[in-house]
Amino acid sequence: MLAYAAKRICLALLVALTVSIISFGLLRLSGDLAQALAGQSSTAADVEALRKAYGLDQPLTVQYLEWAGKVLAGDFGDSFFFKEPVAAMLAQRLPVTMLLGASALTFALVLAVPLGVVAAMRPNSWIDRLALTLAVLGQALPSFWFALMLMIVFGLTLRWLPISGTGTWQHFVMPSIALGYYATPAIMRLTRAGMMEVMASDYIRTARAKGLRMPTVLFKHALRNAVIPVVALAAVQFGFMLGGSIVIETIFALHGVGYLAWESITRADFPVVQAIVLVLASIYVVLTLLADLLNAFLDPRIRIA
Amino acid sequence: MNRLIALAALAAFAVTPAWAGKKDDTLNFGVYREVENYDFYFNTAREGILIQQLVWDNLIDRDPRTGEYLPLLAKSFKWIDDVTLEMELHDGVKFHNGEPFDADSAVFTINWVSNPTNKVITQANVNWMKNAEKLGPHKIRLHLKQPFPAALEYLSGTVPMYPKDYYAKVGPQGMGREPIGTGPYKVVAAKAGDFITMVKNPDYFKDSTKGQPGIGKIHMRTIREANTQFAELMTGGLDWIWQVPADQAEKLAANPRLTVKAAETMRVGYLGMDAAGRAGDGPLKNVKVRQAIAHAINRDSMVKNLVKGDSRVVHAACFPSQFGCTDDVRRYDFDPARAKALLAEAGFPNGLDIDIYAYRERPWTEAVIGDLRTVGIRARLQYLSYASLRDKNHAGETPFFHMTWGSNSINDVSAILAVFFGKGMPDDFARDPELHEWLRIADNSVNPDTRKTNYKKALQKIAEQAYWLPTFTYVVNVAFTRELDFTPDADEIPRFVRARWK
Amino acid sequence: MTAEALDSAKILEPSPVTQLRRRIFGHAGFLFGAIVIAAMLAMALLAPLLAPYDPYDQDLARRVINPIWHDDGKWAHPLGTDQLGRDYLSRVIYGVRISLLIGFATMIISGVLGTALGVVAGYFGGRVDMVITFLITTRLSMPVVLVALAVVALVGGSLTVVISVLGLLLWDRFAVVMRSATMQVRALDYVAAAQAIGCSAARIVTTEIMPNILNALIVVATLEMAHAILLEAALSFLGLGVQPPLPSWGLMVAEGKEYMFFSPWLITIPGVALFLLVLAINLLGDGIRDITAPENRN
Repeated sequence: MLAYAAKRICLALLVALTVSIISFGLLRLSGDLAQALAGQSSTAADVEALRKAYGLDQPLTVQYLEWAGKVLAGDFGDSFFFKEPVAAMLAQRLPVTMLLGASALTFALVLAVPLGVVAAMRPNSWIDRLALTLAVLGQALPSFWFALMLMIVFGLTLRWLPISGTGTWQHFVMPSIALGYYATPAIMRLTRAGMMEVMASDYIRTARAKGLRMPTVLFKHALRNAVIPVVALAAVQFGFMLGGSIVIETIFALHGVGYLAWESITRADFPVVQAIVLVLASIYVVLTLLADLLNAFLDPRIRIA
Repeated sequence: MNRLIALAALAAFAVTPAWAGKKDDTLNFGVYREVENYDFYFNTAREGILIQQLVWDNLIDRDPRTGEYLPLLAKSFKWIDDVTLEMELHDGVKFHNGEPFDADSAVFTINWVSNPTNKVITQANVNWMKNAEKLGPHKIRLHLKQPFPAALEYLSGTVPMYPKDYYAKVGPQGMGREPIGTGPYKVVAAKAGDFITMVKNPDYFKDSTKGQPGIGKIHMRTIREANTQFAELMTGGLDWIWQVPADQAEKLAANPRLTVKAAETMRVGYLGMDAAGRAGDGPLKNVKVRQAIAHAINRDSMVKNLVKGDSRVVHAACFPSQFGCTDDVRRYDFDPARAKALLAEAGFPNGLDIDIYAYRERPWTEAVIGDLRTVGIRARLQYLSYASLRDKNHAGETPFFHMTWGSNSINDVSAILAVFFGKGMPDDFARDPELHEWLRIADNSVNPDTRKTNYKKALQKIAEQAYWLPTFTYVVNVAFTRELDFTPDADEIPRFVRARWK
Repeated sequence: MTAEALDSAKILEPSPVTQLRRRIFGHAGFLFGAIVIAAMLAMALLAPLLAPYDPYDQDLARRVINPIWHDDGKWAHPLGTDQLGRDYLSRVIYGVRISLLIGFATMIISGVLGTALGVVAGYFGGRVDMVITFLITTRLSMPVVLVALAVVALVGGSLTVVISVLGLLLWDRFAVVMRSATMQVRALDYVAAAQAIGCSAARIVTTEIMPNILNALIVVATLEMAHAILLEAALSFLGLGVQPPLPSWGLMVAEGKEYMFFSPWLITIPGVALFLLVLAINLLGDGIRDITAPENRN
């Protein structure tokens, strides 16, 4: 287990390093930083002075190391547009996106796991077909379209839910559904497949042969084993949701990092974009690392592989 | 079983949305654009002027209906000579943080903003002032660099007064986070790019010509998606939105809960062309190509079918009511055949490819692209936010752009010509020395006839050379709840101070 | 065993071709997918013949005309016109070309890239596998929409840019699936035998491995094609996809969205078209998997 963990952590660190190099490159590719920092009404001398002051005349490797050092200390530089520290802006907006991601994931799990279990219990029954149909339809609906439709039905026509903003928990219901729906097909299929595999296994057959009641078998034995890969998938999906929340945050006017990322892209505020790419990627790396370790802990077979 | 759970879940979600508006005396309004900094001198969004009206006061006020200049924070004003304005200030006015407003604050504000090293974003708003001088505790003199006929116009719109001690301490960033002014509304919470919340200032000075505030609380939210704004307005989440496209305004007007009003504004659309070759040696350096573009655009059809309302086609690079504006310039009628012929003469018989930059009313720019396509000009749309397009313009990276200018609601042609054709201005893509000279004379003369003659010469040359193709005037559609008593003004500045609940 | 018994065994066990035919015609999803895609392909090929107008022809005087099922609809424009007065039917017909082009081209780029990486990793294993696993993990950690938006914003949006960016971003699933499929096949006896008699790695991969992982490849290819089409639509929706006036369905939804409360067909029509195409591609992929390897269903 320790050897596996060490190997896995090394991989995660290496990935984090590569991602940081890519995000560093993103900002450098976006144009002359010194000019951007100096602003419009600046003279050539101003620009040169800034270039020196910020070390932009140094070789790229030196610049990268300095930048990476600052990032590790939580300093992502200042936004070109807001002229505020990017770290402070992220600290304000990341909770919104995290909350959205978490509630979307909860929605997806609450919908997909029971459906997957029931579908696996009765393969080819109407409920199995319904679950599969939902999965196939879910994969084909454009997310922005689905979000707008939710808004028309629940916000405008029925008036059950507030349309935009972050004031109360109700504000998160529609965005969570719109975002979470896309994770349900994958989670459902995986739960179904896992359950079918486990139900066919010897120890479940033995348990059933011993005359244990079906719910006991289901929850005490089968689900616990079938759920292991689902945990890993959920972690991965959470990472995807953080990155995929741009469209949803824009439509529901949630001022999280997705919205900030898009706004920053349209106004070429690359220090912000860079920081968001880096932070989201790092969260993803940590999540998948934890999921893998948890999996290995729960399922000894993985450690050997 | 599953169905029961689903129904129970839906029932739990069934909440009545917080019905804002008249009931809790809060005016909720939505805007599209993010304001990067609520400090008036450090943003260029129109929303910045709206907020300025509420939070701060200028020395002078212009009555939006009569156009008359009235004293505001100044009790009275008089010209000593062409370049000196003396003002007596109100006594007893206080900033929201308790700091008194006096000659020191006024002198500090003027000297600070007119100093170019402090980098106020729209330099044209402040760079005509030399400095200010304190004559007494409530008396100052403003010195101009040279005679500047539009001085009162600018003083009444773009030079709000700041608290000296506070601003010296916190600077533009601090002012942006916690704005402090003398205005009718106090800011209680603000987050740049997101929202700002203001409450009625109970101590607002009684002599203000802007009127006393009526509504208790005003809350602005940034909502990028137009649909989200419409949905919020229709369900009562928002009480007021603006810049509603004409088609949607017509539909919203049919809603019995809503009032829709349209007002022509001083905003003029234009196609800017890089005649000076700032963005490289492009085809638009050729006057025939620029004229071809002018003939290719069907502005009449755009006005009639897209913009609608009181919008009209303009031929000269100014808003018709502005002092110095004239219609007596060369006109380019819609004539695709002529456009094609001009392109061929210019050496582009097979048309050409070019990037067109834009930042608002995307369908209108797409209509322009469609018109250009029929004469063989394949324009690729680069759609950016205003702030980054402005920066690209200033850096001279844009060969061709469809933009608008609202003249900061200043009713004088200098507010448009000096910005786009004046010498050394970052938005000048004509770089025409003759224009520089005529505008220098006109901007600094106090003789109305001299000004008019020179502005006319400039406008005629701009049209002749097709440096700009002015398109049409803009109409702003405002939609708001029936419960609100609100009248839009022609200068595109919503004045919530005068708004009341019915 | 008598000859009669052999005959009856033949009758009881249908021939493989018959079996395949039965599976195909017994699989509603596959049939639906295949028919829709065939229709879409025909529409793309025959667009100039089918479309009543040039999809770029704008006429501001005839804008936002209602489609035929409204009372004031006109047969001249069966699906109405858009906000610039362009015939919506013609734009929808030409739009299928863009979506199919984006889906197909992206799938080819990412497919070649991902399959190459996956097969190499699965075949050689060891260090090569470690490096490629690292590449896959790195790619997976980059948020796709965000990176695509940022790159399009830097380079400027166009059809080529969108296809290249998506192609270079969506290879991960190919690599993951091909890697494990190759590993499975490689462990089989006949591959070991081929190695033993001295066949080159290139030969083994092309003759022994590729034919055996083709099913998995096709399934991933359909999924990724659908994914690419949806992503282009999302990018266009955010204003950073393909260029107007190109009749891309995603862009049409984006341009029509301001009308969604009042003229909803402007986003319904391209939205449904998009949904149908993606659904058909997914069903086709699922169907191919079920038909070629029914025992592996889900």
